[in-house]
Amino acid sequence: MAEAVKEKILAVATITCTIDGQQITVPKGTSVFYAARQIGIVIPAFCNHDKLKPVGACRMCYVEIEKMPKLQVSCATTATDGMVVSTNSQQVREGRKAVIEFTLINHPLDCPTCDKGGECDLQDLTFSHGYDDSRFGFNKMRFIEEEKRDTFDDLKIGPEIVLNRNRCILCYKCVRANKEAFGEYDIGAFERGDLTEINATPGGEVSNPFSGNLVEICPVGALTNSDWRYKIRVWLTKTVPSICNFSGSGTNITFYKEDHKNFVYRVTARCNDAIDDGWLSDITRYGYQIVNSESRLKTPLIKKGGKQVKASWDQALAVIKKHMGEIKDQSGGVCIGGLISPSLDNASLYSFSKLFRTIFKSNNIDFRGDYRYLPSVTDSPFTIAASQPFSIADIEKSDVIITFGTDLIREHHNEYLKIRRAVNFFEATAYSVNPYAVKTADIAKSEMVYSPGTDELVINGICLAAIEKKLVDSSAAAKLKPKISKLSLSELTKQTGLGKEQFKELAEAISSAKKITFIVGEIVARSLERDKICAALSNLNKLFGVQDKGQLAVLSRYANSKGAQKLGLSATPYEIVKAELKKIWGEYPDCQPRNTDSMINLMKKEEIKGFITVGTNPMRLYPDRGFASEGLEHVDFLVACDMFETETTELADVVLPLCSWAEYDGDYINLEGKVQTGKQAIKPKYEAKAAFEIMELIASQSGVKLFENEQSRNEEIEQLLSLNSVLPWPDDFLEIDYDKKSSRDDYPVPLFICDDPHHSGHLTEKSPSLLNFSDSAYVELSKGMAAKIGVADGEPVRVESPVGKIVVPAKISRVLNSDVAIIPRNFSSTQTTSLLMRKKRVDSVKLTRVEE
Amino acid sequence: MTFYSPVVTNAKEIAGHEKLHLFEYVEDEKQYQLKRYLEHGGYAAWKTVLGKMKPEEVIEEVKKSGLRGRGGAGFPTGMKWSFVPKDSPKVRYLLCNADESEPGTCKDRVLMERDPHVVIEGMAIGAYAIGCHLMFCYIRGEFHHSIERIEKAMEEAYSKGHLGKNIYGSGYDLEMIVHTGAGAYMCGEETGLINSIEGEKGMARIRPPFPAIEGLWECPTIVNNVESLAAVPHIINRGADWYRSMGTEKSAGTKLFSLSGHINRPGNYEVELGFSLQKLIYDANYGNGISDGKKLKAVIPGGVSTPFLTPDKVDVPLDYESLTEAGSMLGSGGVIVLHEDTCIVWTILKLIKFFRHESCGKCTPCREGTGWLEQIIQKIEDGRGGPDDLEKLDSICGNILGRTICPLGDAAVMPIQSTLKHWRDEWQYHIEHKKCLVNQNFGF
Amino acid sequence: MILSEKTVKKINDKLSKYPKAKGMILPALTLAYKQLGYVDNEIYIEISEIINVPQLEIAEAASFYTMFPKKPRGKYLLQVCNNISCALLGADAMVDRLEEKLAIKRGETTDDGLFTLISVECLGSCCTAPMIQINDDFHENLTRQKLDELLEGLKNGK
Ligand SMILES: Cc1cc2nc3c(=O)[nH]c(=O)nc-3n(C[C@H](O)[C@H](O)[C@H](O)COP(=O)(O)O)c2cc1C
Ligand code: SF4
Ligand code: SF4
Ligand code: FES
Ligand code: FES
Repeated sequence: MAEAVKEKILAVATITCTIDGQQITVPKGTSVFYAARQIGIVIPAFCNHDKLKPVGACRMCYVEIEKMPKLQVSCATTATDGMVVSTNSQQVREGRKAVIEFTLINHPLDCPTCDKGGECDLQDLTFSHGYDDSRFGFNKMRFIEEEKRDTFDDLKIGPEIVLNRNRCILCYKCVRANKEAFGEYDIGAFERGDLTEINATPGGEVSNPFSGNLVEICPVGALTNSDWRYKIRVWLTKTVPSICNFSGSGTNITFYKEDHKNFVYRVTARCNDAIDDGWLSDITRYGYQIVNSESRLKTPLIKKGGKQVKASWDQALAVIKKHMGEIKDQSGGVCIGGLISPSLDNASLYSFSKLFRTIFKSNNIDFRGDYRYLPSVTDSPFTIAASQPFSIADIEKSDVIITFGTDLIREHHNEYLKIRRAVNFFEATAYSVNPYAVKTADIAKSEMVYSPGTDELVINGICLAAIEKKLVDSSAAAKLKPKISKLSLSELTKQTGLGKEQFKELAEAISSAKKITFIVGEIVARSLERDKICAALSNLNKLFGVQDKGQLAVLSRYANSKGAQKLGLSATPYEIVKAELKKIWGEYPDCQPRNTDSMINLMKKEEIKGFITVGTNPMRLYPDRGFASEGLEHVDFLVACDMFETETTELADVVLPLCSWAEYDGDYINLEGKVQTGKQAIKPKYEAKAAFEIMELIASQSGVKLFENEQSRNEEIEQLLSLNSVLPWPDDFLEIDYDKKSSRDDYPVPLFICDDPHHSGHLTEKSPSLLNFSDSAYVELSKGMAAKIGVADGEPVRVESPVGKIVVPAKISRVLNSDVAIIPRNFSSTQTTSLLMRKKRVDSVKLTRVEE
Repeated sequence: MTFYSPVVTNAKEIAGHEKLHLFEYVEDEKQYQLKRYLEHGGYAAWKTVLGKMKPEEVIEEVKKSGLRGRGGAGFPTGMKWSFVPKDSPKVRYLLCNADESEPGTCKDRVLMERDPHVVIEGMAIGAYAIGCHLMFCYIRGEFHHSIERIEKAMEEAYSKGHLGKNIYGSGYDLEMIVHTGAGAYMCGEETGLINSIEGEKGMARIRPPFPAIEGLWECPTIVNNVESLAAVPHIINRGADWYRSMGTEKSAGTKLFSLSGHINRPGNYEVELGFSLQKLIYDANYGNGISDGKKLKAVIPGGVSTPFLTPDKVDVPLDYESLTEAGSMLGSGGVIVLHEDTCIVWTILKLIKFFRHESCGKCTPCREGTGWLEQIIQKIEDGRGGPDDLEKLDSICGNILGRTICPLGDAAVMPIQSTLKHWRDEWQYHIEHKKCLVNQNFGF
Repeated sequence: MILSEKTVKKINDKLSKYPKAKGMILPALTLAYKQLGYVDNEIYIEISEIINVPQLEIAEAASFYTMFPKKPRGKYLLQVCNNISCALLGADAMVDRLEEKLAIKRGETTDDGLFTLISVECLGSCCTAPMIQINDDFHENLTRQKLDELLEGLKNGK
C-alpha cells in the first residue's frame, strides 16, 4: 500500500524509523518493505507487487521488529515512528529459509526444463536464502489433467498463456492483478488449502487485453506464454529500452533481441509510473511480432504491365523520379499529395513535410487517414480541444474522472488502468458517458449511455443542469444560457435519452470536484460533428472552470499524433508552426491546403495525380472505403511505403519496404507532449528503410538534400517542438446550433467501427499472437439486439448500410445494452469500412440473420 | 422430545439459580417461540437499551461486566465494540459468528436451536452499541435446524416490531440477515467470515486493518460469538456488577463447556468461569467420570486448537488465565476427554488431517506445512516412521507457529507440540515399534 | 434455465436485502444446491446473470466450500463425522460398517442412487457423538442398533 498511498499522503505527515541501523524518514503509511527499499535494502518477496494491495501471503518478506516477538511481514506492516527493524537477523534468515523450504516441497526441482529458468524469483531466492538440500521425503503433489495434458503437465489456458500448476507457488499475483488492476475475471484460484489451483474460469480462457502481464508478473514458471517459451534462454538475449508504437501514451517497453539472428524475442514492461505503471496491453506486448514477420515487404516493387515486380531501390527511385517529375513539371506540385502515419517518428514526419513543402511545393499532406471528412481549418474547436495539455499521472490525483465519447479499452489502455487505480486506490469517482455501454465503465460510479449522435446535447445538458441548480457562477451562466437554450433541459433529455437526474449528477460531480480529469476520446474525434461537440466542451470548460482545477482534452490516439501536430503535418498547421516553418525554410507553399478528405476528392477529379502514402493504409482505414478506393484508383502515380502488402500497396505503382520502429532510433511525442525515444533493437530487416531515409532519397532524386546532416535535421525539429502548441480556447461562449436528427428506419442500428481490443490499426493482424486472440471481423451486439434479429453467438449476420454489405458472425456482448453494432476495422479479410459514409454523423445499418 | 438435539445440558440443575442464566430455559420446549421468550422477560433488555441508554452507555456497561469473547480468543467484548470509530461516516456491521466448527464444540447450536431470541436480542443490543443498522448472523450451513430456528425467530421479531424500522418508536432502524456458510472451518475465523459474506472464498485477511476499523465491505465491523452476544441481554437486565460477581477477577461471568469424548455424561454445561475442570469431568452432575471406568490420559480443554493437558494438570480452574498458566487455552470451551487407551499419534493424525483440510491456502507455512506434517504423522501412524521424524515435526511446527496470517496455523501446531512435549515417549515408541503403545479399539 | 422460477425468485428476494450483490454468491449457490443437489458451471453462469457478478467469482467461491458438489449425489447423503470427539466413540468403525452394509466406499453412491456416503469434519454435535447427518437432519448418540434401524427405515422409504 505504501506505493499506493504515497502521492496522497506525501504532503501530510512523515515518520522516522530505523532499519538495519539506518534511520529513514518516510511518508506515514509507508510499509516497512518500501521504507527499506528507499535506503537500498531489498527485502526478498514473492507476493508483493508495487501496484497491488499487499496480501501477506507468501511470508517471504519477514522482518524482525523490536518489541514484537513474532516475525512480521514487511510488505503488510506499516512503518511507524521509532520502529526499529532488522531485515537480516538470525531469526529473519531462519524464517525465510523455512518459507523457501515450504515453497519448494511441492515445487518440481527441474529448473533446467523450465522456461523461467534464469529469471525466476524462486530460483534466485533459493540460491540466496534457502537450504541446499531437501528434508521432504514424500512425492510432490502433481496436477495432472489427462485430456488437456501437454508437455510437463502444461495446460493452455488462453490463446497465449500456458499454465503449469505444479510450478505455481500461489502468490496470487496473477489473480489479484487481473481483478484489481485490470478489472478482468478470466483467471482465478480454485479449491482451497494445498489443493488450491490457479486456472481459467471454467469453460473459458484467459484472453483479456492485459493477459500478457500475468505471465510477466508470475514469479515462477507457472505462467508462460507461447510467444516466448522455449524459444531462447533469457541470458542469450540482450535488452533494449524502447517504447510502444501502438499506443498514444508511449508505453515504456524493453525489447529482448538476439543479434546473430537479428530477431526480437519479446517485449516486456519497463515500468514508468508516470505512464504505464509497468502494465502492458497485449497489443503492446505482442504487437512487436510484426517486426519479425516473414510476410514483410522485402524489396521495393514496381508495377510492370499491371503487375508488381521486385526491384532494386535504385530502380524504384528512378521510377518515382520520372513520374513525380513529370507530374510536377506538367501539372505542378499541387497535384502531388501525401498521407503519413502518425505512428512514425519525428524525423520521418518532419522529412515528409519538408519534402512536400519545399521540394514538391505542395501543401497536400495529412497524417489523419482514419478521420472522416475533416474540414481544413487551423483552429477549429476540435483542433483546440486536441491541443490541450494532459498528464497521465494526474489521473491518479483526480477525485473526479469523466470519460466522454471514448471506448477506453479500444483506445487508451494506460489511461484506463490509471483510472482504475485512481478509483481502487485513491477513492476517485469515475463517470462514463458514452453513446454505448463500454467495458471500462465497470469502475464508474455511474455509466450514462446517450443516444448516438447527441454528444454535444449531452454537454449542453450538463451545462444547463448546472445553471438550473445554481452550481456555477451566475454571470457566466447568464451569458451561456441563451447560446444553448434552443432546447430546454427536458427536451435534451428526450433527445439524448439521459435523465435530468443524470445531467444533474454530472454537473454536481464536475462542480464539486477538487481535481478533475475529463477525457474525450475517439468517438468524438471521429465524429463528423467533432467541432460542434468540442465547441460545447469549450463552453463546459469555461462554465465550470474545468481546466482551472484539472484537465480536459481530446486524447490523441497514435504513437506520435502529438508530434505530427507539433511538426505541422496537417495541411493546415497551427499558425505559429506555419510561421516557424517559413522561418526555417525561408519558404512555405502558398497553395491551398488539402487534407485527406479533399485530397481523395481531388483524386477523383484528377487534380491530384501523384500520391505517396507512408505507413498508412487509407484503403482500409478511411471511414468510407468506397470513397477512398474511388479516389486512390484514379491516381496516376501512387507510391506506397509500408511494412506489409496492404489494400493500399496493392494499388501502388511503386511499393517501398518500410522499417519498423524497432529497427532505428526515433523520437515520439506521446499524448501528454512528452518526447520519448524508441531505441533501435535490430538492424533493418531485408531491404527496409526508415521513412526519413526514404524521403531523403526521394529528395535526392531532384538533386537536393532535405538536410545537411542529422544534426541540422534535429535542430529544425527541436525548434518546432519548442513552440507552445496549446491553442487557446475561444474567449466567449459558443452558440451550439441544433439540427434535428434524421433517422432512417430502413437502417435503424447505429454502427461504430473501431479497433478490436487486441488490435490497433492495420498492422497488428500480422502478429500471430494477437491473431490468436482475435483473427477476423465480427459484429458485436447486445443480447437484446441479437434476440431481435434472432441470432445466437457466432451465427452469421448480414450487415447492410446504404453503401455496403458484409456478412460477419455475431458476437454477443456482456456489456452492450442498447441497439448498436460494433465492428472492428483491423482485418484485411473483411473490408468493414465499406459500410461507412464519410459525411454521415452516425452511420447506421440494417442487421439480418443469414439463413443457412 | 421436541428438541432437535438430544444433547444433555445442566438446565434443570440450574433452574432458578440466581447466577447461571444462559441455559436457564434451554430445557423449555417452547422457549424458541417469541411468546414464551417474552414470558421469560425476553426483549426487556433491548427495550431498556433503546429507551434509556446511549450507545456509549451500553458499551460502558458491557466493558464493566468483564465479558470476554466466547469464540476462542477471549477478547473483552465491550473493548472491542469501543474500537469502532465514533466519527466514521461509513455504515457499521455487526456479525454474529455462529459458524461453530471448532471440533469438540457444540454449545452455540444449543442456544440457537432452543433459545434463538436471546441470540437475536444480544445481536441487536451489540448493533445498537456500535451504531449498526444491518446485522448478519453467519450460521454454518450444516446447521439446518439452527438456521430454521433463527430465521423463524427473526421473522417473529420483525413481525412484532423487535426488529425493523423505528423499533419501539425509538427511531432506531435495524435489519437482520441470516447468512449461511457452506462447509469451511475458516469461515469461523473473523476475517474469513467477513470474506465469506462478501462472496469471497473464506480466506483470512491480513490485520491491520482490524475489522473494527475496516471489515465487511471496508466498513467498521464487529464479529462476536453467539455465546458472547447471548450474555449481553442478561448483563443489561441485571447489571454489570451482577455479571462481575460471577467467575474470577479477570474471567467474569459464566461459560458454556461442551464436554465430549471418553466421558460418562457428555453434554453442554454452563458453569461460572473458574469452575474446576476436575469437577466438570468427574462430578456426577457433570461428566460423571471417565467412560468404562478407564483412566484419564489427556484433556483437550478448549477445542482442538488448544494444547493437550496431562492428567496432573486437570485440577485447574476453567478460566482464561489459569488455563494459559497450565500450558493450554480456554479456547471455545470444547473439553475433549481422552482415556488411557487412546493413541496420541492417532489422535494427532485426526487433528492434523482436519487442519490440512481446512487450511484456506493463502499463506505458505500453513498451506504447505499442514500437508507436510500430515504426511509425516501418517507415516508414523502407519509404522513407517523414521528416527529423525520427531525432530522434523518439532522444526516444522516451529516454522509455522507465529508465522501465519491467521491463527489457524498456530492452532494446527500447538496441539502437536504439546503432545511432542508431554508424550514424546509414546511418539518414540510408535516409531520404534511401528505400532501404538496402547491397545486402542474404539468399537461401535 | 436450469434454476426454477421459485429459486430465481428466492435469489432475487434476498438480493434486494444485500448492500452488495457479490454478497449473494453464497446464498444463491445455497439456494441452487437446495433445488438441484449440485451446482456446476452452468449454474454459475445462471447465477452470474441473476446477481450480475462475474461467473469467475461464483466459480471460485463454490470451489472453496465443501457443500457444493459438482454432481448430484444419492437421495440420502450420509455424512459421518470423523473428527475427534466422534472418532473417540467409534466413528471410524461406523463408517466401516456403513461401507459394508451399503457395499460402497466413502465418497461413493449406491447403484440404486439411494445413498451417498461421505465422511466429514466436526458437525457441532460432539457431545452426542457419534453422529451422522442425513440430508438436513442430525442423528446423534448413535449405536450400532440405532444406525441399522435408521438405514432400514430409509431403505424402506420411511
Ligand atoms: C480457524 C478459526 C476458526 C474459528 N472459528 C470460530 C467459530 O466457529 N466460532 C466463533 O465464534 N469463533 C471462531 N473463531 C474466533 C473468531 O475469529 C473470533 O475471534 C470470534 O468470533 C470473536 O468473537 P468473540 O469475541 O465473541 O469471541 C475462530 C478462529 C479461528 C482462527
Ligand atoms: S500462477 Fe504465478 S502469479 Fe499466479 S499464483 Fe501461481 S505463482 Fe503466482
Ligand atoms: S494460517 Fe492457514 S488458514 Fe490462516 S490464512 Fe494462512 S493458510 Fe489460511
Ligand atoms: S511479500 Fe510479504 S508476504 Fe509475500
Ligand atoms: S467431532 Fe463429531 S460432531 Fe464434533
